[in-house]
Amino acid sequence: MQKTFDIPRELMTGEDLAQPGMLSCQGCGASLAMKLALKGLGERTVIAVPACCWTIIIGVYPYSTLKVPVVHVLFETAAVSASGIRAGLDMRGEEDVVVMAWAGDGGTFDIGIQSLSGVAERNDDILYVCYDNEAYMNTGIQRSGATPMGAWTTTTPSGAVKQEKKKDIEKIMLAHEIPYVATASVAYPDDMIKKFKKARTIKGTKFIHLLSPCPPGWRIDPAMSIKITRMATQAKVFPIYEVENGKYKINVYPEKKIPLKEYFKTQGRFRQMSEDLVKAAQERADRSWESLIRMDGEA
Amino acid sequence: MTMKKRSESAETYELKTWRDFPPMNISMGTMLHNMTGSWRFIKPIYEDKVPACQNACPAGNDIEGWIKLVQKGEYDKAYWHLKREQPFPAILGRICFRFCEASCNRAHLDDFVGINELERFVGDRVELSTPHPDVPEYNGKKLAVIGSGPAGMSAAYYGRLLGFRVTMFEMLPEMGGILRVGIPAYRLPREVVAEEFKGLKNMGIELMPNTSVGKDITLNELRDDYDYIFLATGVHESAKLDLKGEDESDLIMSGLGMLKKVALGEDVDLGKRVAVIGGGNTAIDAARTSVRLGSKVIVIYRRSETEMPAHPAEVEEAREEGVEFRFLAAPENIEINNDGNIERLVCCKMELGPPDESGRRRPVKKEGALFEVETDSILTAIGEIPAFDYLKGIVKTENRVVEVNEGMQVKTADEGGAKIFAGGDIIDMPHTVVHAVAAGKKASIVMDCDRKGTDFSEVFKKIAIGDGRALSFSKYMGWAPVNPVSQNNEKVVDSEKIVYDYFIKASQVDKKVVNADARRGSFDAYGKTFDEDQAQKEAARCMHCGRCTECDNCLIFCPDVSVLVRGEGQFGYAIDYDYCKGCGICFTECPRNAITMIAEEISIQVDDLQ
Amino acid sequence: MKQVIKGNFAVAQGVRLCRVGVISAYPITPQTTIVEELSEICARGELDAKFIKVESEHSAMAAMVGSSTAGVRSFTATSSQGLLLMHEVLHWAAGARLPIVLSNVNRAVGPGWNIWADQTDSVSQRDTGWVQIYCESNQEVLDSVIMSYKLAEKILLPVMLTYDAFFLSHTSEIVDIPDIEDVDEFLPPYRPEFRLDVDNPRTFGGMIGPDCYYEERYVMHKDSLKVLEHYSDVCSEFHDKFGREYDIAEEYRTDDAELIIVTAGTITSVTRIVVDKLREQGKSVGMMKLRMFRPVPVERWLKVLGTVPKVVVVDRNISAGLGGVFANEVQAVLYNSETRPVIYPVVVGLGGRDVTPDDVEGIINYALENDKPKDVPLFWGLKQ
Repeated sequence: MQKTFDIPRELMTGEDLAQPGMLSCQGCGASLAMKLALKGLGERTVIAVPACCWTIIIGVYPYSTLKVPVVHVLFETAAVSASGIRAGLDMRGEEDVVVMAWAGDGGTFDIGIQSLSGVAERNDDILYVCYDNEAYMNTGIQRSGATPMGAWTTTTPSGAVKQEKKKDIEKIMLAHEIPYVATASVAYPDDMIKKFKKARTIKGTKFIHLLSPCPPGWRIDPAMSIKITRMATQAKVFPIYEVENGKYKINVYPEKKIPLKEYFKTQGRFRQMSEDLVKAAQERADRSWESLIRMDGEA
Repeated sequence: MTMKKRSESAETYELKTWRDFPPMNISMGTMLHNMTGSWRFIKPIYEDKVPACQNACPAGNDIEGWIKLVQKGEYDKAYWHLKREQPFPAILGRICFRFCEASCNRAHLDDFVGINELERFVGDRVELSTPHPDVPEYNGKKLAVIGSGPAGMSAAYYGRLLGFRVTMFEMLPEMGGILRVGIPAYRLPREVVAEEFKGLKNMGIELMPNTSVGKDITLNELRDDYDYIFLATGVHESAKLDLKGEDESDLIMSGLGMLKKVALGEDVDLGKRVAVIGGGNTAIDAARTSVRLGSKVIVIYRRSETEMPAHPAEVEEAREEGVEFRFLAAPENIEINNDGNIERLVCCKMELGPPDESGRRRPVKKEGALFEVETDSILTAIGEIPAFDYLKGIVKTENRVVEVNEGMQVKTADEGGAKIFAGGDIIDMPHTVVHAVAAGKKASIVMDCDRKGTDFSEVFKKIAIGDGRALSFSKYMGWAPVNPVSQNNEKVVDSEKIVYDYFIKASQVDKKVVNADARRGSFDAYGKTFDEDQAQKEAARCMHCGRCTECDNCLIFCPDVSVLVRGEGQFGYAIDYDYCKGCGICFTECPRNAITMIAEEISIQVDDLQ
Repeated sequence: MKQVIKGNFAVAQGVRLCRVGVISAYPITPQTTIVEELSEICARGELDAKFIKVESEHSAMAAMVGSSTAGVRSFTATSSQGLLLMHEVLHWAAGARLPIVLSNVNRAVGPGWNIWADQTDSVSQRDTGWVQIYCESNQEVLDSVIMSYKLAEKILLPVMLTYDAFFLSHTSEIVDIPDIEDVDEFLPPYRPEFRLDVDNPRTFGGMIGPDCYYEERYVMHKDSLKVLEHYSDVCSEFHDKFGREYDIAEEYRTDDAELIIVTAGTITSVTRIVVDKLREQGKSVGMMKLRMFRPVPVERWLKVLGTVPKVVVVDRNISAGLGGVFANEVQAVLYNSETRPVIYPVVVGLGGRDVTPDDVEGIINYALENDKPKDVPLFWGLKQ
């Protein structure tokens, strides 16, 4: 039997709020992520974009590839600027328009975490999306708090690849007890679209963490970007789950058992990863997965 | 592509002086003017390819094509589509050696697709005698087919579809050759064969049973009367064991001969115990027929089970029916007593040495490791030999085969008269029904090329499927494929090209076989044809390797919004090359390799760079 | 209605009267009571606004970027370090042409920690593109909130109005609070041509290359200059409605003056008294109040100061390595005047040190007595 994606044909053939002509690299996960996110959210959406790849992808003045209102905001302000938009739209009586902050991992894990925490603490009614390509890719591949251990970047160069672990952003967000925290991946588009549809209907702060491949930054063939991203979930280093009002649900149970080593092998950025780091990464992934399974279904 | 190009609605704004600028930085239009297609150096195209099953089929059966029609519930269409490359689904659907299943890519996920059962379902869904929709006017040329086994049937069928006036000669009273008198009825019911012949007759093919070429009519007479002759007289007797005493008893007989007698209703008495020598399909047929005649059977084979040429499924069924197997053993000596009964069969244990020319490990005697097998009769099934008397003086027959060229044509001693072709078990090719069908198809196409004066070898290049083992009759005729997209008949989609992540494990539909105890006592067919539900379930397991199913993966995954649905009742997708950056994700994520990446034509001349 | 209120409360009343839609602020001494009072006003239902209680000044201004782009009147207030933390976003708000109003209570910049009056915080935001207005009384503070929105929304530039820590923020004065109906007539609801609108989707603030950025900044500069002409309309309309007016650069007894002293903030009020006293003594001195600092009313400064022999500029701020910022700006404007006045730059009262009438008198007399400044700048009151 074929596992076709549970996405209605009409949705995919309907009006594309993301138009072609995007200034993204070949095989860009972030471009695909936006296309799919807008399929889930629809036209009554306003987006705040901080400094990130999408600053470029969207196009050059006076043009834009997106057919929804977008405001570019400062690097560290995606969440709170979205809150400001929310307040403004509420004052205009447009409560049904969803406000999405669309930030990269640098803007989320690092420079933007203060204002994101503030927004989450106030439970402001926005959807915060982190499309995570695991480094500062727009500036040319520098390490971020989201860069995995063992990865090469231009600031964790050959011979000194990243020794520190990736921040567990979901735990940070869950500590704020916001109503919805989810991970999603461009390799699982139906799950992803469903989550955006769901997020639309929830009041308060929603946080979606998207794994979004970056062929130049991950040192991979653009054609392989979805396949490798899928492997991240299959190898359980990027589990796909959601936490709704504290209730965990794993959305994708990997069918195959893929050692993390196989996943690392697919990408040039992990070429210098030592056996010790591979082992440590595997242990960490196993631990997280086991604890996730324990949480699954528990209130 | 009929849809309006998106790039035509691109807008650009001229900001010539500072006065044209709005107060703040706002967008005024889309980025459609930015034709990112210019970044591309490789590009995706939709291109259907050859599934591994079709590539493996000697006849080039378009399995994926008709399974797709089955899935749509269009069973009539499926039947006629199937018959384009393999004319006898009801027959082959029961007894085919099924190379297709052995190479089915699905086996890497769970288990192969039950293609044979589905073929049988399609064959049984339609009256076999239904008038063929594609029978043309006669083309003025006459074809004589000698022998009515699968090779002859196939040559007659395709010959007729090509416009030849066809006559089939069969020496036995019943048409069908090996299908009628070789393969036991429990595997292939007589009615099915008879019905297929009704179908052939309805196509306008003249059937001449009880007509032995060489006795009732000579080959030279046929050469005068016909434009083309197809020799398909097959094999009739088993090869000798070459042992002392072999000819001294009636209880040592040819397996094939025994099967023929049973098929024609003659009495056969094998005694309580039967030893079958050999490991091919004939050996298994002989063994299982012996079981049905009430004997206890042992099959003695000189290699191990893995080297056995018989189909593993049939070996398994034989075992279920109580047939014993003795591997790595060969008869050494037969002692016949004065009553003409078998006193003892002495066998020698064997071991496997280095590989022989067939690639299998050669069995070598273990000196002195002799043992006895108690048996009342011995059936030999170590290879079959044809009867070539009718060819004497006209066709050279060395090494027990008729020599043919690449176009299946036979060299004759003298010029003049009909051109002679040959196929099936009398030429040097694997002895399977489907190979015979393929041979008939190939010969017919060559005859048609000859009639038209075209070079068949050039035609072969155009209509060969996959690795070139089979020819596509459909392609020869210019018939449209099931998917109206461009076809690449060379590229084979093997398991490495399948994205298994996109398929869910699902076990084969149970065949509901009658249990072995009941089988032992009857020559009735023991398997049932799939009902519609079963067929749909099994058909749904087809992965449609190399063939677009409009699964939408390319549409969903394109990061550059450059895959468009053709719409308006049209099949498939179109790529908007104005924007496609050539990333190749659609290619990688196509579950079934129905997209190909090709190099972009680069218009830069070397001169320009200097 | 007249009330005795502190400067911070005057600001809060101004915000209420302007029917601001979104407020976002972070507390910092001495601005804090604005945040508190606005919270009270909203809680009492006197103002229908969303108040986003952010975790930093940076976020406060960032929230304004969102709400103002959404086309809603937005307000924030801060002081000192808070303003400095906003710096990045100040540039962004002005570049995005968002008519936000910010009230900054001028406070010294650390270290060490000093919460008292000093204008270094706001003068160091000089190049952000914001309109800057310096106030000397609580009435002026309230009126300036109302005028600022009128100005900002017409020109599409943000306005920062500033006033001295404690001298105004925590000092009570009689303030005439206008009726909200009158303010409504003066300041109609904000209806921008471009805002975040799902029915007319546009992208704001996108990437812009060298071929367009230059023009875009030029347009911003041209529009900033338009503030100057538009200010007089706003001013006279305000006068017609409320009977008060605030000159863009008020002249005080400058007729035939030999010396004009330039001041900003509460020192202006002290200086008025000193000018009166010195005029009585027969000294022809006058004063120019520096109200609008960005855009610089160049023509007006030239007209007032261009023909005077001596100009004293008093700065309660310091740009280390050169001196007071106002003095340098005045000097730059006057450089091309026909008869270049002698400029006496004086730095006073940093970190909230009192500037008394005696100090101002001493400064003026020092300029009158010397043909040329002895020190550039002169640090008046420095412990020698």
